[in-house]
This record gives sequence, C-alpha cells and structure tokens, in this order.
Amino acid sequence: MADIVDYAIRGLPIGCVFALLAVGLVLTYRTSGVFNLAFAAQAYTSAAVFYVVRHDHEWPLLPAAVLAIGVVAPLLGLGLERGLFRHLRGAPPIARTVTSLGLLVAIPEIVKLWIGDSAQKNPPPLWPVTRTDEWLWPREGARYVLDAGQMATVLSTVVVVVGLTILLRRSALGLRMRAVVESARMAQLAGVNADRVSMLAWALSSALAGLTGVLLAPLFAELVPLHFFTLLVAALAACVVGRLVSIPLAVLGGIGLGVLQAVLAGLLPTDSVLSTGLRPALPFVVLFLLLLLRPPRLGDRLETDPLAGVDPPPPPLVSVIRTRSLTLTTRALALAAITLGLGAGLFVLDDFWLTLVTSGLVLAVVLLSFTVLTGMGGMVSLCQATFAAIGAFSTAQIVDATGAPVVLAMLAGTVVAAAVGGLLAVPLLRLDGIYLTLATLAFALMFQSVLVPLDWVSGGSTPIEVPRPLIGSIDLADDHAFFVFAALCVALVGAIVVQLRQATTGRFLDAVRGSEAAAVAVGISPLRQRVVAFALAAGIAGFGGGLIASWTGEANYDRSFQFLYGLVWVVLVVTMGARSVQAAVFGGLAFYLIPELVERLPLIPDDWASGLSVALFGLGALTYARHPEGIIEANSSAVIGRIQRLLQRRSSRHPQQPALSIEGAGAP
Amino acid sequence: MTTTIRRSPWLAVAVVVSLVALACSNSSGKSDEGAEESSQAVAVDAPGVSETEIRVGGVASITNPLSGKYDQVALGVKAYFQMVNESGGIYGRELNLVAEKDDNTSNNDAAVQELLTQDDVFAVLPVATLLYTGADRLVDAKVPTFGWNINAEWGGTAEEPRDNLFGQNGSFLCLGCSSPVAAYVADQLDAKKIGLLAYNVPQSADCATGDEKTFEQYAGDGSATIVFADKAMAFGGGDFSVQVSQMKDAGVDLVVTCMDLQGVVALAREMKRQSLDAPQYLLNAYDPELLTDFGDLFQDSIVLTFFAPFEVEDPPEGLKTYLEWMEKTDTPANENTVNGWLNAALFVDGLREAGENFSRQKVIDAINSMTDWNGDGLLYGVDWTKQHIDVPNPQCNAFSRVDGDKFVPVFGEPGKPFVCLDADAEGVPEGTPSA
Repeated sequence: MADIVDYAIRGLPIGCVFALLAVGLVLTYRTSGVFNLAFAAQAYTSAAVFYVVRHDHEWPLLPAAVLAIGVVAPLLGLGLERGLFRHLRGAPPIARTVTSLGLLVAIPEIVKLWIGDSAQKNPPPLWPVTRTDEWLWPREGARYVLDAGQMATVLSTVVVVVGLTILLRRSALGLRMRAVVESARMAQLAGVNADRVSMLAWALSSALAGLTGVLLAPLFAELVPLHFFTLLVAALAACVVGRLVSIPLAVLGGIGLGVLQAVLAGLLPTDSVLSTGLRPALPFVVLFLLLLLRPPRLGDRLETDPLAGVDPPPPPLVSVIRTRSLTLTTRALALAAITLGLGAGLFVLDDFWLTLVTSGLVLAVVLLSFTVLTGMGGMVSLCQATFAAIGAFSTAQIVDATGAPVVLAMLAGTVVAAAVGGLLAVPLLRLDGIYLTLATLAFALMFQSVLVPLDWVSGGSTPIEVPRPLIGSIDLADDHAFFVFAALCVALVGAIVVQLRQATTGRFLDAVRGSEAAAVAVGISPLRQRVVAFALAAGIAGFGGGLIASWTGEANYDRSFQFLYGLVWVVLVVTMGARSVQAAVFGGLAFYLIPELVERLPLIPDDWASGLSVALFGLGALTYARHPEGIIEANSSAVIGRIQRLLQRRSSRHPQQPALSIEGAGAP
Repeated sequence: MTTTIRRSPWLAVAVVVSLVALACSNSSGKSDEGAEESSQAVAVDAPGVSETEIRVGGVASITNPLSGKYDQVALGVKAYFQMVNESGGIYGRELNLVAEKDDNTSNNDAAVQELLTQDDVFAVLPVATLLYTGADRLVDAKVPTFGWNINAEWGGTAEEPRDNLFGQNGSFLCLGCSSPVAAYVADQLDAKKIGLLAYNVPQSADCATGDEKTFEQYAGDGSATIVFADKAMAFGGGDFSVQVSQMKDAGVDLVVTCMDLQGVVALAREMKRQSLDAPQYLLNAYDPELLTDFGDLFQDSIVLTFFAPFEVEDPPEGLKTYLEWMEKTDTPANENTVNGWLNAALFVDGLREAGENFSRQKVIDAINSMTDWNGDGLLYGVDWTKQHIDVPNPQCNAFSRVDGDKFVPVFGEPGKPFVCLDADAEGVPEGTPSA
C-alpha cells in the first residue's frame, strides 16, 4: 500500500500537466464551440516566440512573457476567430474539426519558416531561475521533490482552474460566452454582441494556450511541435472525463491519469506483456474505454442551436442532375483526360515523375475511403491510415507465410480491414460528432503503441517485404505496368464508390445524414447503415494499404501509415471535396506532386519548400468556410456550368429536347 | 426522371476481381534498372562527370520530427571537397555537392530516385536519414553511396552484400546483437548494477535486447548485471519519476539507455531531482552544444564515439586536418560533420584508387579492396573486404567522459585513442588501446 501511495504521489506533477492541457481544451470548447486540436499548435507558437526573444535576443523575462502570452497568443486567437471560425459558427461540427486539424498541421510549419528548422534546444523557463535543477522543493535529497518547473505547473493549474471556473460560472461574460456557443443567433436576439463575445473567448483561450506552451516547453529537451501534440492527445482522456465541458472534472481526469500511469509503472512487472502493451498506450486506452463505457449524453453536446434547422441543406453534386448532352460531353472530356493522363504516364513522364504520379494514384485508393465515410456518411475518422496499415500488414504476413499471390493477399487484407472496421464500428457508432472522431484517434494511437511494435503484426524493426504482382505474363515489377495497374485499381474502387453512392446504402446514408429522425421514421436503421459504411471504408483503406505495400515493396508503418498521415489525409480530402471521387484522386496526386512543384518555384528558398507544402495542405482546410463542397467540386461546378451554358447556346441555335437523368455515372 | 438502384455492376466487379486474382502470382521483384545503369558506367563517361567537375548529391532528413541536425552532415562533405578543390581537385576536376535533398523523413525512396534521375550525379553522398527506404534503389543502380550508418538497410548478407553502400566506419549494423562495449564501460567505471531504459518502439527495444544479451554474454565474477530494465517507455514521454525511484531503490550505479535526446535529458533531470548519483552511458551524444545546454545533467557520463575525440593528446593527422578545415570553413565540429567529412574522404580515396579512368564500379571495387581504411587516423581502420556483412572483431571505439563543460577522452592512451575489444572473449574483455 505504501508503494502505491509513493507511486501515486510521483504521478501528480505529470497529472497536473495533463490537467492544464485538458482545461485549455475544455475552455476553448465551452467558449467557442470548437474542439480545438490546434490548441497544441497555438501553444507551440507562443513557446517559439518566447524562445526566440528570450533565448536568441536575450529579452528580460517579463517583456518576453508578455509578448508571447499576452500579445502574440491573443492576436493569433483573434485572427483565427475573425478569419475563420466566425464564418463556421453555424457550420456542422465536421467543418470546425477539419479546420482545426488543418491549423494543427499548418501553424507549426509557418512558425518554422520563421524560426528555422534547426533544433531549439533547452527552452527557457517561465520562472525566474536559470535552470530547473537549481531550485528544488522541499530540499535536495528529500523523498518527494518538485523542481521549479513542476511547482509552476501545479500552481498554474490551480490558479487557472479557479479563475476559469469563476469566470464561466459566476461572471456575466462567462454566461454570454456559453450563450453564444449554444446559439449565436439566439444570443443576438437577446441583445448579446455575439461577435465581440466570440472574439473575447478566442483571445482568452488562445492566451491560455500560450501560457501552457511557454510553461510546458522546458519539459522537453528541444522545442518540437510533435511533443506538444503528443501531450495534448494524452490529455484528451482527461477532457472526456469532464465530458468536454466540465473544468473541475477535466482536472480530476488529468491528475487521475497521471497517477494511474505512475502506479501502473510501479506495480506492473516491467517485462510483462501487460506492462509493455498497456503502459505506453494508457492515455489512449483510457480515452477509448471512457468513450465506449461512458458515452456522452445527448445533453452534453454543445451543438444544440435551435435555429440550426433553418439552414438549407448542401447543394447536390454537379454530377447528380444534368442533361443528356451534358453527360455525354463530360464523359467525353473525362475519357479524353484519362487517355491523356495514361499516355503521359506511359510515354512522357520520366521515372521520377512516374513514381510520384503512381504513388498519388495508390494513395487515392486509400483516400476514397474518406469519400464513403466522410462524404457519404458524414463521419470524420482519424484512423483510416490505421486501416490501411492493417491491410498492408495482412497482405505482407499472408504473402510471407504462404507465398500466396499478392493480389489475393491484398483482397484478404481488404477483408481483414473491413472486418476490423465493422467490429470497431458497432461500439463506436453510438457516438457522433467530435466524440466519434476522438474515439477513432484513440484507436489509431492504441494500434500504433500496442500492435505496431509486435513482430507478428508489423515485422518489428525490419518491415516485411511485399512483392509486386505478376498477372499472367505481365510483370508489375516494371513501374509503367504498375502505373497502369494502379490506375485500374483507382478506377475499380472509384466505380465501386459511385455504385455505392447510387445504391441503397448511399441513399440510406444520405437520408440518415439529412435527418436521422426522419430516416428512422421510414424504417432505416442509422446504426446499421453507418456500420456498413464504416466497414466498407475500412475495407477500401485496407485494399489501398495492400497496394501501397506492394508499390513500395514493404509494409512499413513509419514510412506509409503513421497516424499523423491520417490527419493530413482527412484535411486533404475534405479540402478537395469529400463527396466526389475525382477529389480523392486529385488529393492523392496533390499529396505527392505539390511538394515537388513548390520546390521548383523560382522564388521559394530551398529550405522553405517542404515546410511550405505542408503548410499549404493545412491551410487548404481553411477554404472549407467558403467552399464546404471542396475545391475540386467547386471548380467542377464552375466548369460544368460553363459547358452547360455553351451547350445551351448551341441548342438554342439547334433546338432539341434535353433528356434529364440523375444517374450521373458519367462523371462521378 | 428515374432513380434506378442498379445492382448488376457489383456482380461484374466481383467477376473482374476474381479473374484478376486467379491470374495472379508474384513478381520476382527484379527490375533491369540496375543492369542498365552499370552497363552505362564506363570510364569518365560516367554520369555526373564532365571535364571540369564530378557531381555528387546527398539526401538527409532535414525536416524530421526529432529536430535532429542531419543537414550538418553535408557541411562536413562540403568542407572536405573545398580542401580537395583548393589543392587542384581530382584528376583536374572539381568535386561539387550539387544537390541536398530533404526526404522529409518518410520520402527517402522518392528523394533517392530524384537524385538518380534528375540531378545527374556520379555518387550519392552524404546520406543521413531516419528511414532509408531508398537503399534498394541505390543497390540496384550500383551507385557508390556514402553516409551515416544508423539504419539496418546499409548492411548486406553474404549472398547480397550491398557492396556499393558505405557507412562511415563499416556498413553492418545489428541493433539486437550483443556487443562487449557496454559491459566494458561498466567494468571500467566499476559499476555493478545496471539500469536499462528503452522506448517500446521496435528499434529502441531491439537495442535494449542487444544490451541485455551483452550483460549476459560478458558476465563474469563480480561483473555488472542488469538490476532494473524497462523497455516500455512511451516514445517522447517525459515522466521517469517511478523508474528513477525504482532504480535508486535497486542501487543502480550505471544507466544504459536506447533513447533519443528528449528521453535522456528528461531521465537525467529526474535522476538529478531524486539524487540518483549514477552516470549514463550515451550513444550519439558527442556534440559540444550538448554540453552547453545540458552539461550539468550529464556530469561523469560516458560518451561513445567511433572517431578520435577532438580532445585527445597527440591527435592523429586526420583529426588535425578535420579541425583545421572546420575552423577555416566556419563549420561546427561535431559528430554530424565528422560523418560527412569521413564520407567525403572515403569517396575521394576511392576515386584516387580507381585511377584516372574511373567509373562507378571501379570506385566501388577500389574501396572494397581496402583492408585498413582509417581516414588518416580519424577512425580505427575499416576492413572493407568484410564490413558490408559483419560486425568487426575486435570492436574498436573511443570513449569520453563529461567533465564540466568538456569531453575528456578516457580508457585510451596518448597517440592511441581507440580501445579495441575482443567480441569472442569470455567475460568482460580487456581493452587494448590502439591507434
């Protein structure tokens, strides 16, 4: 028992770190309605500003802290509110989630363009001592010792929790903030200046992100954005303890997580399977279990705007309703474009560009899984890269163990991924909105922490090799042949997705997405349809994963399937247009081609190219406010509109009756 | 207007998929790209060679999640090339590093392909990457390649030796194998109780497994044993409080880790906090900047280097030249730039050995016939006839102790900075100081 107490006490400081981050997330959610995953990026920004002025320019502590926390952080928050989130206030949760993911990706890259990519070692502390180990409490050598940084974190957590609780519960400003989040339009009817309150809320939450960043930076040896995000993800479990809205419960959750982590580290034998499997994944396991075992009540949701129903539904895809002549024209254009593309791949592109294009096509297969899940089902999954990995590992293990043809193994991998997706969906799909997204993130992280290190899953530190297929006498070891194969796979999966959209499942998903209550009233089971969509999307991602493994020659998690890729992919697909097949194809190509094209732009410095590309991918999500249908769909609409006008002018000269069709198969 | 829900295409799809699957088997995976490259590599008509210059290109994980300074390796190459060029170049040609690709950690294969197809280079150097997925492409293309051997892909087998890939001091790497080095360090420090910490990621866990085998294999009367091991630390995790308290209770007097800078710094801070007075045995930590930033955390810790530490008495010629050119070119002297410098030195020596009518293959063959290449004493001699497929025996390294804000060479002798250890010894091997 004494040991347990001993370990529990040791877990308190890291528990306070989790608690502080969780409070920041909860505050942002309560005062802005955005579950702001970019909180980590905002924290990193302030930490970077503090580092530069304090470490590089040797500013005194107070002005440096005021600039980083009191000026830059709130200004960043105000900028985000004015430029982005104000326009997303009435948008569905998916819009805000994806936008915050885009910011999470883009902001650190933009900051790094400013401060450079080299390591910022030994971030300076926010407390007035020169090094952490010069100030220990109660004294050096005591059994329990806190250093200055830990003391500052504990004290800050207490001050922040008390202050925010009073603000939100006792002050008029707190009441207005909550009202604006619930329904900006209702609040305005009650005389509240929603814009001003929203700006204040963003400035406040952003300042808290800044404080957290500067305070926690000295925990790390170097200033690296990934460290902030890793800590933030660990703190998500604490947020869920507070159901995303309760600050005191989030604090308890954070401290509880820190204590549990320390107690397990102390009590479990270090060489036990439970220890190696559970401990590194503990925050994600807790998050996953909390969401499954203690699902949020309907009343926990903040998106309860009674005026939300007055918004019109999104416009239909341009491919849905069109004249026969337009369909024929677009089909001819699409055929010409495909022929040109194939011809260019086979006869014009050199090996390097062919590799990039083929990689883009292969990735497009995985991205088509988002078309089903996000585009049709309206769900944001952050574990599609994980399903791709499951498909890849299954393919690799089957080929390795049995010598089976790789295409058969890929199909088996597809089935395995679909089965895992289906099984996962049953408990997950009781959740919706941000809770579902968090659960998929937790699953991705559990997979990475627990299963990927195992030899029988991933091959351990040596990835398992996967050969190219040999189809009849056609050896796909030749890159040109594989390019054609990849194009055929995209076409096949794209056709399946289009069929799915037009078949019962697609119609039912549309119905569920439009109005769940109305769908239930006509006998549609939302849960069943979502499970089907989840399993199909997982299967498609799994097939894409197998294809990636065969293309690259190995099932390599670090190279192809890290959970962070899943975050970038979802931003990319939603930016391009989650509902259309061609957007997935363009997304895959953009992922590989844009960095190379940016690198070749004349005015871009060499050391800016890769960071700028990543920033562009992230910033792409910011177009969501203007084009919720996606860039590709918006442009398709414009082009098809022009073609339609052209055809109409022609038909007015040669009158004939257009035949309307809603098949739309010509241009998915 | 009709809204037909069509099902027949599903059947068609299923039939197509089945037919394709049944017609399939697996490719042998051999493309003819490499054969074509090698047949083209003739004398000075080789790619990247003109009458005035020899072009090379490198690839590094310049953008990486760990903020590692992999770009510095190229600085070492540039400094060496400047030295050679100022003395007339090679066969009347200047050496130029014309491309430095950033593989963004995960795009190594694409970056390598770009070098080979877009940049017209004779050789690839330096390579300093977290993932080395382009290795197969370089092997197939038979391009002389030089870099920092921190990936298993550098090494080959007897059947497939990968003999065109040259690490800085040999190409074979076995993370999960035993090595007498850690046991020797413990013996020299008179440490008896070892604490071992690693992340639960495959590479780190393999390294820790190698350490466990080491202390089992080189056990003897009174030798050190592992009394605490935790290989389940979360990557990037910063809380070692429980582990340190358990190591303190177990009386650990030397800590061996397989972690990155973030891990060893967080661990050192916790050890300081809890007054666990034990040194760490550190790999890849020979960087003067480390002492500036964290020196007080690592007092008395032992740092391993494969090259002669800069502070040795009676330094070898190779070290003197390196330090002179680092100063001349305003390049930081550290492990990264030593790597680049040695990569360039081996390449240039290979060119010289290959003769005026050099080709890619001749350079590769020339290097692979060298049995004692030591970069003018900067490292212990490498036998390139063997070190593509096996770890050398004896294993020769240099050691430094962190003392204040300096590295102090230890265990060697003046003029003999390296300590050679017999990997076949029973018990902890005696170290033999060597030049």
